[in-house]
Amino acid sequence: MKQKTTRRVFVRRSAAAAAGVFIIPNIIPSTALGMGGKKPPSDRIVMGAIGTGSQGMSNMRDFLNLKNAMQFVAVCDVDSKHLAQAKQTVDNANNNSDCRTYGDFREFLEKETLDAVSIALPDHWHGIIYTEAINKKLHVYGEKPICRTIKDGQTIVAAVKKNNIIWQTGSWQRSQAHFRRGAELVINGRIGKISYIEAGLPDGGRGIGTPPVQEVPPELNWEMWLGPAPKVPYRGVTHWDWRWILDYSGGQLTDWAGHHIDIANWGAGLEYTGPVEIAGTGVWPMEGIFNVPVEYDFLCKYANGIEMRVANASRLKNGMGTTWYGELGWVHTDRGSVLTASDSKILDEVIGENEIHLYKSENHWQNFIDSVRSGSPAIAPIEPAYRAVSVALLGEIAMTTGETIHWDPVSETITGNERASRLLSRPYRKPWSLLTV
Amino acid sequence: MRKQYFLYLLAAVLIAIMPSCSKTPDYKVLIITGQSNHDWKVSSEAIKQILDETGMFSSTILTTPQKGEDMSGFNPDFSKYNLVVLDYEGDMWPEATNVALADFINQGGGLLMYNSKSELGGIVVPDSVIILERQDFEIRNEISDHPVTSGLPVRWLHPADIIVQGLKPAGEDSQVLAAAFIGNEFRGPRKIEPVLLARNLGEGRIFITLIGTPDDNENMALHCTGFIVTMQRGAEWAATGEVTQEVPFDFPTAAGTVLRPDFKTFTGDDLFENIGNYDITRSTKYFTYLQSQIRKAGGDEKKLLELEKKMVGVLKDDQATNEAKKLILRELSWMGTDYCIPSVKKLASNQELTDDVEFALERLQK
Repeated sequence: MKQKTTRRVFVRRSAAAAAGVFIIPNIIPSTALGMGGKKPPSDRIVMGAIGTGSQGMSNMRDFLNLKNAMQFVAVCDVDSKHLAQAKQTVDNANNNSDCRTYGDFREFLEKETLDAVSIALPDHWHGIIYTEAINKKLHVYGEKPICRTIKDGQTIVAAVKKNNIIWQTGSWQRSQAHFRRGAELVINGRIGKISYIEAGLPDGGRGIGTPPVQEVPPELNWEMWLGPAPKVPYRGVTHWDWRWILDYSGGQLTDWAGHHIDIANWGAGLEYTGPVEIAGTGVWPMEGIFNVPVEYDFLCKYANGIEMRVANASRLKNGMGTTWYGELGWVHTDRGSVLTASDSKILDEVIGENEIHLYKSENHWQNFIDSVRSGSPAIAPIEPAYRAVSVALLGEIAMTTGETIHWDPVSETITGNERASRLLSRPYRKPWSLLTV
Repeated sequence: MRKQYFLYLLAAVLIAIMPSCSKTPDYKVLIITGQSNHDWKVSSEAIKQILDETGMFSSTILTTPQKGEDMSGFNPDFSKYNLVVLDYEGDMWPEATNVALADFINQGGGLLMYNSKSELGGIVVPDSVIILERQDFEIRNEISDHPVTSGLPVRWLHPADIIVQGLKPAGEDSQVLAAAFIGNEFRGPRKIEPVLLARNLGEGRIFITLIGTPDDNENMALHCTGFIVTMQRGAEWAATGEVTQEVPFDFPTAAGTVLRPDFKTFTGDDLFENIGNYDITRSTKYFTYLQSQIRKAGGDEKKLLELEKKMVGVLKDDQATNEAKKLILRELSWMGTDYCIPSVKKLASNQELTDDVEFALERLQK
């Protein structure tokens, strides 16, 4: 792999140094980094992390496994316990105690000079924090689903394009060989023209009723955790379980759209478009504060005639994963290296030199770092992430309204349905607002 | 006399062509009980209530001679009924009675077997079965396009019931519609035992339910909406070959069990009397019911406006809780029309609702 410092990395890092001094590539004086004479390899990407819960820490570990490719210098979380754990992890990796900590992302973005940031937050915060980080011209490794609403997604996509940063979605399945292989067989017509796709995502789980209002634990800034979401008293639901409440998430459906719908789109060539018609049904819990659908089943029709059914896995013969059906057979792929086909010969097919070779990455986090260095796009760029979650969000709207939704994937609007159109965004609670890009 | 006869005939024809409009039950049911491992007095009475609650069945309970008593005279006339329900496990009936029941089914009658294990019903009972301790468990559809299970959640929780292990469907014409699922979804051994089965026999049909057993206590299994509704649907299918009943709002899901304490169908007629008292810690049922009604309206302007007017009624009600108003404002934010705007704006002065009013008005672009 080529070791080079991108212009932007270079510019950002030397900004603190005397202007106009050009250094031989790969060597930046440590003084420029304010690191008191310590000399890190200049090709290390300097990163921070916003959101250091389970997924944020998982990503951090994956980045740290890359050894000398990057370095974390600052972390941000509204839970001081999570923050302390993250600082400990970073300090251990850096063999010092210098990792800076923040409880407010605004201060983090204001004070830190970074190349890139890893962000893993509840979905209701994605719109604001992704956009503001991107506007600071930081490269972003951002967790899926990239947005809670279509409008959030459109704003984030626009911000990425405007600021020309490297974006990597946490859709790491793309960096696994069997998912790429499955998608590559399909996009090269090995099962003929695709007519139908199934994306099986997890079923919803048990409810917890409505726990009593509780004292907010001292480590948690509840007001900041809620942020733009409606103000509600603390009932003990924050980390992880936010995904069962519609104010913060669309449940398993939106959570997993960035995996199996993303892979479906990748193989079917639907990465940069969306369905034109969406209709289906859901099953919602009757009681309790967990209110995301526990079952969902909807059909999306595309302008080119392809139909995609998205459902909780128990409703589908193949269960979890992506299944493409073409005129010559089917290909199914799922986690656990699952790659099967209607005829095993399909799986032995060789993709010729002049055929489509999908982007190849063997490590999702390394691919992000490499892309930041090279300035070329990462394997999971922003628009496919937006298009994948849009399918789920439009499905959510169809199920919520009980109507067939007509979507224009070019203008990215719902046509002929004012009520459904209102569900394309969620108003933010003051003082929060989404930046106009 | 002749005229009267004609009117009867006319009524019969009208009932036959308009089953949904008729108030008179369409199908006659004979519930046979009298001997069982469980308290058959409780279960048979419950079955009668559950079936009659649909409005389409009229049930009669027939008790057999007690254990050890002379069974030779037990010979009910099945032909008077559309459906026979067996809540019976005990002494053998006279051969002629068994033959008559088999003939009844073969000629198009329906049989519903409630925790009544017999090969006739399409299950093979091995010499010994294991009965698991009473527990909550999940039921999963094995076949989702059968009239009985079509449209139901594919996974739902069922409370405090026993599971009989080792029963097998008899032959290819027996379909396992749903099975009890025991064990961790991701790790360890999974155990699946049939709990709802269906079988076609001659011109007739047999539906088998192995859940809903009384426990001499709270009888939660018997009051489970999932048990009740699958029995109602299974009964209709066995009697007619199709299911016209709608999937009710209160069918349980993977999120939790749902009970009908008095076996009564949840109508939601009292939705707007109850939703004003909304207290999240007590129940969210009426609110989720309102959402289901909005979905069901499916964009129908007239129906939505009707709901909107009632929702605005709650906003205007000084007695209604702020929690109720918050939820109503949230729904109106996307489905409301100009009709609701003045009432929404009026609530802006209520400090507890400021955010919610802003949320609604921003989305409604007012």
